[in-house]
Amino acid sequence: MRTKGDFPNINERKAEGVREDGAPYRVLVVDDSMFVTKQIQQILTSEGFEVVGVAVDGAEGVEKYKELHPNVDLVTMDITMPKMDGVSALEKIIEFDKNAVVIMISALGKQDLVKQSLMIGAKNYIVKPLDRKKVLERIVSSLNR
Amino acid sequence: MRVEYINPFVEAAYSVLTEVLNTDIKRGELFLKSTSMSVLGVAAIVGLAGDVEGRVLFDMTHDTAMKVTNAMLTSMGMEAIATFDDMGKATITELANMITGQAVTKLHNLGFSFDLTPPALITGQNMEISDQRVEALIVPMECQYGRIEINVAVRER
Repeated sequence: MRTKGDFPNINERKAEGVREDGAPYRVLVVDDSMFVTKQIQQILTSEGFEVVGVAVDGAEGVEKYKELHPNVDLVTMDITMPKMDGVSALEKIIEFDKNAVVIMISALGKQDLVKQSLMIGAKNYIVKPLDRKKVLERIVSSLNR
Repeated sequence: MRVEYINPFVEAAYSVLTEVLNTDIKRGELFLKSTSMSVLGVAAIVGLAGDVEGRVLFDMTHDTAMKVTNAMLTSMGMEAIATFDDMGKATITELANMITGQAVTKLHNLGFSFDLTPPALITGQNMEISDQRVEALIVPMECQYGRIEINVAVRER
């Protein structure tokens, strides 16, 4: 008798947050808003990503990145934060690891800072309010580049 | 106060609320207040400084704040809250952030240049807000969760 395991399941879609080898992509979320952090966590974990760290300001974000490196694949970085803003934190992270994949999270009206971030080495950006589709699209395309 | 300052906030509030609450928003009649006025219970305040200066208040009752928070959280697949805790405060603050972000883009496009303070959240009963030498324009937004008042008091420097 053939077991169910012998048949390929055509309905099964590969989760976006999982690599070819089945290991999840590991994400560090840097944001001073508890709401946005939870929202990003919810979107990413539902797609199989693993959130390995959360930081509430740029300084903590840089510190956590250095701690986690090389066991972190992606950073989502808010632009406006206390202590150290997201652009300065991005600069410090790129200085430490020029291959870091950092995606900026921006409120509307910060085009100049977004441009500056992309020049420094951010891979992409997402403008708030965040929606699931937009977040996943930008993140997945940055990981595949 | 010139109405052109309040319109971007009203338009932004309308579009953000419609998007994040996923419900019909009805815009009420605009009114002017030059004396102090009561705060409904939960208010996010954002300061403006530059070509124009003043403040914007997003004001609602505690009950509306709870309902709005839970509508936002559940629509994004997050857990609802039972009391207006830190997560509730972060959610209303973020709502204010989204609205002011969009409004400021519109005002910058009209040629006004100024900076914003991060939103601060005020909660409590029997509070009043007074603006010396500048009157406040208020636009109520009605939805199934209650009323959210967009209260703008700004002047040209």
